[in-house]
Amino acid sequence: MKIEIQDLRFIYPTGLEALKGISLTIEAGEQVAIVGQNGAGKTTLVRHFNGLLQPASGSVLIGDWDVKKYSVAKLASRVGYVFQNPDEQLFSRDVLTEVTFGPKNLKYAKEKIDELVKRALSLTELTDKTETNPYDLSPTWRKMVALASIIAMDTPIVIFDEPTTGQDAVNVARIANVIAELRKEGKTVITITHDIDFCAENFERVIALSKGQVLLDGPAREILGQEEILAQTYVDPPQLTRLGKRLGLKETVRNQEEFLNSL
Amino acid sequence: MHERLSFHIKRDSVIHKLNPLTKLTLILALILISFTSPWYWTPHVVLLLAVIPLSGLGRVFPEFFKAATRLILPAAGFLFLMQAFFQPIGEEVIFKFYFLDITQESLMFAFRNAMRVFVMISAFTLFLLTTHPSELMSDLTRRGLPGQFAYVIISTLQILPQMQAKAQTIIAAQRSRGLDTESTFLKRAGSVLPLVGPLVFGSLVEVEERAIAIEARGFTSKNSKTSLHEIPDPSFEKTIRWALLMLVILSIAANLWLS
Amino acid sequence: MAFVNLQNVTYQYPLTKTPALQNVNLQVNEGEFVAIVGPNGAGKSTLCYTLAGFAPHFFKGEMSGTVEVAGKESSKSTLDEWVLNVGLAFQNPFNQISGAKYTVFEEIAFGLENIGVPREEMKSRVEDAMALTGIRDLAERSPYSLSGGQQQRVALTSILVMRPKLLVLDEPTSQMDPIGTREVFGTIRKMAEEGMTVVLVEHKVEWIAEFADRVIALKDGSVLLEGKPNEVLTSELLAEHGFGLSRYTSTAREAKKRGIWKKKICL
Repeated sequence: MKIEIQDLRFIYPTGLEALKGISLTIEAGEQVAIVGQNGAGKTTLVRHFNGLLQPASGSVLIGDWDVKKYSVAKLASRVGYVFQNPDEQLFSRDVLTEVTFGPKNLKYAKEKIDELVKRALSLTELTDKTETNPYDLSPTWRKMVALASIIAMDTPIVIFDEPTTGQDAVNVARIANVIAELRKEGKTVITITHDIDFCAENFERVIALSKGQVLLDGPAREILGQEEILAQTYVDPPQLTRLGKRLGLKETVRNQEEFLNSL
Repeated sequence: MHERLSFHIKRDSVIHKLNPLTKLTLILALILISFTSPWYWTPHVVLLLAVIPLSGLGRVFPEFFKAATRLILPAAGFLFLMQAFFQPIGEEVIFKFYFLDITQESLMFAFRNAMRVFVMISAFTLFLLTTHPSELMSDLTRRGLPGQFAYVIISTLQILPQMQAKAQTIIAAQRSRGLDTESTFLKRAGSVLPLVGPLVFGSLVEVEERAIAIEARGFTSKNSKTSLHEIPDPSFEKTIRWALLMLVILSIAANLWLS
Repeated sequence: MAFVNLQNVTYQYPLTKTPALQNVNLQVNEGEFVAIVGPNGAGKSTLCYTLAGFAPHFFKGEMSGTVEVAGKESSKSTLDEWVLNVGLAFQNPFNQISGAKYTVFEEIAFGLENIGVPREEMKSRVEDAMALTGIRDLAERSPYSLSGGQQQRVALTSILVMRPKLLVLDEPTSQMDPIGTREVFGTIRKMAEEGMTVVLVEHKVEWIAEFADRVIALKDGSVLLEGKPNEVLTSELLAEHGFGLSRYTSTAREAKKRGIWKKKICL
């Protein structure tokens, strides 16, 4: 499902102009990473996609829906949003109930709900923890429960807000795996992240925001090599991209595979 | 995102410069006199000749006026109507509305009580507008109020807007999962659990972590505390406080003597 | 004698079945910058709480072995004395805001008020600390109005201003943008060079490689490995135990496997 943003502006009640005219199109099935310094407007931007924030001017279309005309609960059938802090989201007595909550709200048929929940639990490796109370799990696993509870809603668009913050290597790999599966299913994945290496390894398109505007937008390969421009929004190129540059490789490399191939 | 968590407005005025304790004594004295003085018109005079001019002197009249018309006037007005209609005193009915009637006595009684309440809330508003909460607490701690006690008071003042902000995030997270919080009452009642759960759990974690954080910054240190803000307390303010205390005592004494 | 000295420390939280730390031995010299790595649940945060005195003084629970910092022993000290030597900042910045202050400047001064620093000294120390972490322009803002990354800087500054001899940091930059993280690491490094001892938990190994003197790898509550960053972080043992590796290391290892790279693996 396509997302079309036209000259989007947003001003907080404090008078801070957080978005200063953003125009973007995200095609169905794209994998997009949004990067940029603290306060660049990343979260403010994606909160317009499911109606949590309303544009001061400009428009946001999710498929054929104008977000101004639909409630957040309605938009939830098209856009899933994983919040940064799982503790703000989880409330059920056990993992199974928690993950079932979203699809139930969307009023899918019972068989479909069961199937979606099962798939979400296996994707997030939670199948053996369905009876556990989410609050008895470690923060790492609570994060996975939060992921599962959104994936189970089977929305064409999924947003992750800083999914790797505070996660160890094993869990980052798990999250990357979830994103890869969603890509296979043709879903649009939009991720806000400070982890530029994670971004380089899992996303085809990168949007760099700076002070409420789009600084760079394009294929990851083109964007991630632009060290000087990225520095304006406090982002460093990925480790291997920098190493590749220092070794004098002609092409911009993003990940291990590309790096080794170009050696 | 709340930029302001207190009513305090930073301005340069005579009232702002007063020691917080003097201000506290002043408003408490005005309130006590309004409630105890035997003279009928005391609260009216206190409001017109003390509270309102003081708000001007403190350079917060516009904010004071806004609070007075939006908040205090409706509250005092409601009290006035209730007491005017339901106070069973007096004989001579001067106004009738279905089964309700107002007598001259109930009217006068209600007018005075409403005015007393008006003085009370408006004096406190004036105090909050011109006094920085942490200055008040630092001053009271210096005078022997236990630090823990001051902390509880001041963090409670901040906790409401904080809880509100947190609740909003939680509501946003659950609405994003298709929870309909905007429709019928029944549905809304059913949607309370997903909102309360994270709020309570979050608060428990928060309390523990905050306790660690302030402890790590020497909160329970046995050293005597100091204060970032210098809070002057010149001797004439002490005189003012004693004078105000005397006025209150006189007012109470007059009340007792006449009754 | 090492500045920080842990001897056979085993610690178990109340109401739990297994110890969070098991037989940990750890020495850190004065002015050394030591990084702790390990998967989630390895005991990293518990180790921080132990160094900072909160385990067992705050959490209670069972502790055996000895914890010494600056020649004092934790079990013979009270928490309010202990925190004068050891500063702690942890991950969630929101919960570290005291809640008693209305501006960032006041927030940072809070700790100094508590321990009774005179007013003029307090002001200059707050100014200095804010300059060090680059948050001077936030001085008059409400701590609650800041972003997560900015709040983390405030939390760090609030501890630095206390001038602890040992600084314990549990993922202090998790919500900062990359260049902000670099700045903060630079500041911490500078503090270490000026004689402050630093123990820091971090998931992102590339920062450790760049800034730390020594790395300690924890797994299941015990020390698995310790040594110089480029020895520990490139060790086969770490890879086997599911620790995070820097991209340089994992790529070099892959290159070696494919026979493109013949030399020693470094960072």
